[in-house]
Amino acid sequence: MTVSLSCMEYGTQGVITEIKKYSRELNALGIRVGKIVKMVTKQPIKGPVVVMTGEVVVAIGIEMASCIQVNTDIDPAYIRDK
Amino acid sequence: MKDERSMILLIGNPNVGKSVLFNRLTGGDAVVSNYPGTTVDYTKGTVLLDKKSYTVIDVPGAYSLEARDKAEEVCVKMLEANKNAIAVIVLDATRIERGLYIALETIERGLSAVVALNMIDSARDREISVDSSKLQKILGIPVVETSAVSGEGLKQLGDMIRKARPSNIKEIKERSEGKEIQPETGSKCPGCCGGCGGV
Repeated sequence: MTVSLSCMEYGTQGVITEIKKYSRELNALGIRVGKIVKMVTKQPIKGPVVVMTGEVVVAIGIEMASCIQVNTDIDPAYIRDK
Repeated sequence: MKDERSMILLIGNPNVGKSVLFNRLTGGDAVVSNYPGTTVDYTKGTVLLDKKSYTVIDVPGAYSLEARDKAEEVCVKMLEANKNAIAVIVLDATRIERGLYIALETIERGLSAVVALNMIDSARDREISVDSSKLQKILGIPVVETSAVSGEGLKQLGDMIRKARPSNIKEIKERSEGKEIQPETGSKCPGCCGGCGGV
């Protein structure tokens, strides 16, 4: 299932499949297509989402996060290999 | 005339230890804290390496060279104003991947560079192993493991600053894809993997 990053549930993981906008800014923070992200927390009232990618925790504004598509049906072997 | 070759720029992501490294190299007192964005203006100092005096500049941390805030603007301006300076690219050994973005951007601009793989002690504690010689081979510039807090690797960094060299981004791409490119010069230093140019 593909959802936008801003809609991911707490604790779930997924692989980034598409970054529709702000890709340059996000790439510099280590958010790229093919990377595994884990939802850490979402701040209320349209606040930022905090995700973990590798060893890095990144806070992303809700608007930016909504431009990132994530596939949550990932093979556990893919995560292990990464 | 100002000799830009005697200028050293410390470049890297926020909170990777550039200011600690700066203080270690120059004996300065740049403000250090454990959160990102402490340095928003640059700090200048001097270091003596092999009887030659270098001006060291502690550049504010940036994630990329396409400036998005004041601190990154300062970083880009410093790079543009000192095109012949030596760039010491400081990477956090526990989060190398994120730092490689600005590292490659710096190399792409044609600056002579050397990589300081900082916080290597912290990486060891967290059981993160880094193949620095492979990184050196791929990037084609010297890579030194350092821990600015403990002082580990600073002597080697001082030696390698003098061996800083520019690299070619296309060749880096080919090497990272596994294509072998022989170093241009013959190796004169023991255990050389091409990163220092064999000098």
